[in-house]
Amino acid sequence: MALRRKLPVLSDRPLARAGLSSERVLWPTKGPGVFEQEVERIEDALGLTTVEKAVAWAQANSVWPDTFGLACCAMEMISIVGSHHDIARFGMERFSSSPRQADLLIVSGRVTHKMAGPLRQVYDQMLEPKWVIAMGACASSGGMFNNYTVLQGVDKVVPVDVHVPGCPPRPEALMEGIIRLHEKIKAGIPPAYAIRGVAE
Amino acid sequence: MATVERRARIYEGSRIPSPIPTILQVDPDEHELEDILTVNFGPNHPSTHGVLRLIVDLDGEHVAGIAAVIGYLHTGFEKTMEQKTWWKGMTYPERIDYVSYLNNGLVWVLAVERLLGIEVPRKATWMRMCLAEINRLHSHLIWLGTSALEIGAISMLWYAFREREKTVEISELVGGTRMHTRYFQAGGLAEDIPPGFFPVTRDFCEQMSKGIDDYDTILTKNKIWLERTVGVGLLSAEDAIALGQSGPVARASGIDWDLRRNQPYLAYDEVEFSVPVYHGGDVYDRYRVHMDEMRQSVRIIRQCLDRLEQMEGEPWIADDRKVVLPPRHELHTSMESLIHHFKIVTEGYTVPEGEVYETIESPRGELGCYVVSDGGPKPWRVKFRAPSFVALEATATCMTDAAVADLIAIVGSLDSVMGEVDR
Amino acid sequence: MAYEGVPGLVATKEAFGETTLVVDAARLVEACAHLRDEEGFAFLSDLTPADYLGWGELGVAGYLGTSAGRDLNAPGSQGRARLPEPKPKRFSVGYHLLALTDPPRRVRVQVWLDDGEDIDSVVPIWPTADWHEREAWDLMGIRFRGHPNLVRILMDDDWEGHPLRKDYPVGGEPVRFSGEE
Repeated sequence: MALRRKLPVLSDRPLARAGLSSERVLWPTKGPGVFEQEVERIEDALGLTTVEKAVAWAQANSVWPDTFGLACCAMEMISIVGSHHDIARFGMERFSSSPRQADLLIVSGRVTHKMAGPLRQVYDQMLEPKWVIAMGACASSGGMFNNYTVLQGVDKVVPVDVHVPGCPPRPEALMEGIIRLHEKIKAGIPPAYAIRGVAE
Repeated sequence: MATVERRARIYEGSRIPSPIPTILQVDPDEHELEDILTVNFGPNHPSTHGVLRLIVDLDGEHVAGIAAVIGYLHTGFEKTMEQKTWWKGMTYPERIDYVSYLNNGLVWVLAVERLLGIEVPRKATWMRMCLAEINRLHSHLIWLGTSALEIGAISMLWYAFREREKTVEISELVGGTRMHTRYFQAGGLAEDIPPGFFPVTRDFCEQMSKGIDDYDTILTKNKIWLERTVGVGLLSAEDAIALGQSGPVARASGIDWDLRRNQPYLAYDEVEFSVPVYHGGDVYDRYRVHMDEMRQSVRIIRQCLDRLEQMEGEPWIADDRKVVLPPRHELHTSMESLIHHFKIVTEGYTVPEGEVYETIESPRGELGCYVVSDGGPKPWRVKFRAPSFVALEATATCMTDAAVADLIAIVGSLDSVMGEVDR
Repeated sequence: MAYEGVPGLVATKEAFGETTLVVDAARLVEACAHLRDEEGFAFLSDLTPADYLGWGELGVAGYLGTSAGRDLNAPGSQGRARLPEPKPKRFSVGYHLLALTDPPRRVRVQVWLDDGEDIDSVVPIWPTADWHEREAWDLMGIRFRGHPNLVRILMDDDWEGHPLRKDYPVGGEPVRFSGEE
C-alpha cells in the first residue's frame, strides 16, 4: 500500500557516507514497515480534524514521563536522559516525580504483588490523557520470573499502550517504543484506557 | 522544638537505636508528640534508588523517627534459582544487583567453581578481574550521578552517564549486550576476548581518568556540596561493624577492610592498588571513598590489560568437558562433544554435594553467595548476602540528628540498590 | 582450625576450605557470645536459613535414585551412585562470621531445628541480625525468641505462608502459547 507521504531515499545522504548503516539508509527501496502502515490506516479511518491534529501534535511532542524506575530497566531509562541517547530531542527530558504532572508512566522493571498497589495508585493519580509503556520483559509479561511474587505482566493492573521487549531493552529500543507512542498519539489513537478499559 | 545540630566530628560510643536497631523511634522527652508529622516517602519517590519506602516522623525539619520498609522488589530469586540448572542459573544473579551485575555473576560463578573444584585458566581470571573493575566503575558512576542529582548537583548525572556509556559499550563488545551479559561461566568465560577490546579499554581508561578529575573539580571543594555532606549521616566504626557494614560505608568510618586486599580472590594479590580509608564517617567521606576507589579501579584495569595482552591465544575456559560446553565447531565432528553439549544444556552438569559461602568485594561491600548442593543438577539452596540490605539497616543510626534535607543525602550515600535488598 | 572452647559445640566440619561449627540450638547465644568476645568474630556476615525437606529423595533433584541406590537404567542418569548425606533435622540456620583480622578468619555456626521449634535471637550480640532474622522468619518461618520486631519484611504484611519452604509452590502462571487453544 502506498503511503501518502514519501519516505526519503537516504542511501545517498551524508549519513550513509558517515557510516550509519541502518536499514532505512542502506535499503533505498524499503517501504513502510507494518507499524507505519497500521498507523496510516487508522489515521485515515479516524479522520482527525485540523484542530485535533494540532492538539495531538502538541501532546506527542511534550510527553512528560514519571520517574517510575523499578529495577534494571531503570538504568537504561536513566541513560536515555543522558547526552548519548538524548530524549530531550523529543521533548521528554522533564521527568516528573509527581504523577499529577506526568503524562507517561514508563514501568521499567519487575513489578511485584506488593508493588502493584502503589503502581496502581500512581497510575490513578495521573491526569488524563495518560499513557503507559511497559518497558522490558518483566513489565510486559513477568519476564524470566514466573513465580509467586512477580506480577505476570503489568497490564494486569494498568492498561498498557506500548510494550518494549528486552532484558533490559537498549536505550535505543526504549526510544523506538517512545517514538511509536508518539506516532500513535499523532495519529489520533486514543490512549489505552479508552480502548481497553481499566481494571478496577 | 529541637534544633538540628550539625556535628562535624564522629561521635563517641554507640548510637544504635534500641530496642530495635533498625528503627529510630520518636523520643517523647525530646519531641512534643502532638507536633510529630508522619510522612511517607513512598516506594515511588524522586530519589532514584528504586522502591524503598521510608516512614519518617518529622518534628518540623528534624527527623525524629524513621523506619524503612522494603520488599517492593522481592522477585523470589532464591526460590527461582532452585528450579533452574547450574548453567541456566547464571542469568539470575546478574539481575539481583542490576548496577554491578558482573560482580554478582562473579560471586555465583566463584561459588560454583569452589564446589566443583574446577581450575580456571589465568586468562579467564584476569579478564574477570578486569571486567569486575570496569563494573565497579559502572556502579560508582551510577551512584555518583544519581546521588549528586538528588542532593542538587544536577549536572553530575550527565557527566557520570557520559562515562557510564563507555562502560556498557565495553560490556557490549565483550559479552554481546550492555547489561546482564552472562559472560562469566563456571570454568571461565563464555567466549574469548574479542579483537578491539584492548584499544577500546585503554581509551576508556584515559577518558575515565579525565572524567574523575572533572567530577573532582565540580564537587570535592564545592562549598554547597561540603555544606550538604560534611558532618551528615555520621556512623562510627564501632557501630559500622556492629551493623555489619562493609565496603565504602565501612571504609568511610575508618575500618580498613577490603576483601580484595585482605582476602584476595581472582588475582587481586598480583595487582597493585591502594584502599582508601577515611575517618569522618559522614556522607562526604563516603563520597571521597567512592572517588578514590574509581581511581584505583582505573589503575587495576590498566594492569590487567598489560597482563592480558601477553596471554594472547591462551584458553579462556577450563577444559573439563563435563562442565564446560564444547566449542561449537566440534559439534559437527565429534560425537562425544555432541553428547556432552546435549547433557549440559538439558540436564545440566552436577555439582558435588556440599555448602559454600563465597564472598567478594562488590562495589557496595561484602557480597556473599551461600550455595548448598545436593549433588544434583540444580542448586538446593542459594542465598545472596546483599550489602545493600545490610546498609539499609544503618539508616536509623545514621539518621540521628538529621534534617529532612539530609535524609536523601544519607540514603543516597549508603548506596543501596533495591534489587539486591529485596532479591 | 579447631574451636574447642565454644559452648554447646556438637561437631566441627571442614570442607571446601571452610569450617562449620555445629552447635546445639539451646546454647546458641552462649556460643555466639563466646565467638564474638573470645575469638574475635565481631562481624556477622550472613544468616542463612535452609530447608531440607525432601533432601535425598527421588524426584527432588531428579536423578539421585532411590534409597536402595542409583537406578542406572533410569533415563537421564549420569551414573552418580551416591545419595547425599542425610541431614539431622529439617531446617538449618547458618551464621557466617568474620573476624576482621589479618589474615581474616571465617567460620560458620550451624544449628538444626525442626518445624515449629524456635531459637534465640542474636540481635543483642550483632545488631545487624535484626533484618536477617526477619527475613528468615518471613521466608522460612523460623521464629526467633527475643527478637524485638519479628514481622514480615519482604512479603506483604498479610501474606500467608513462608515462600522459601520446600512445600511452598513456586507459583506463577502457566505460559500460554499462541498456537494452542
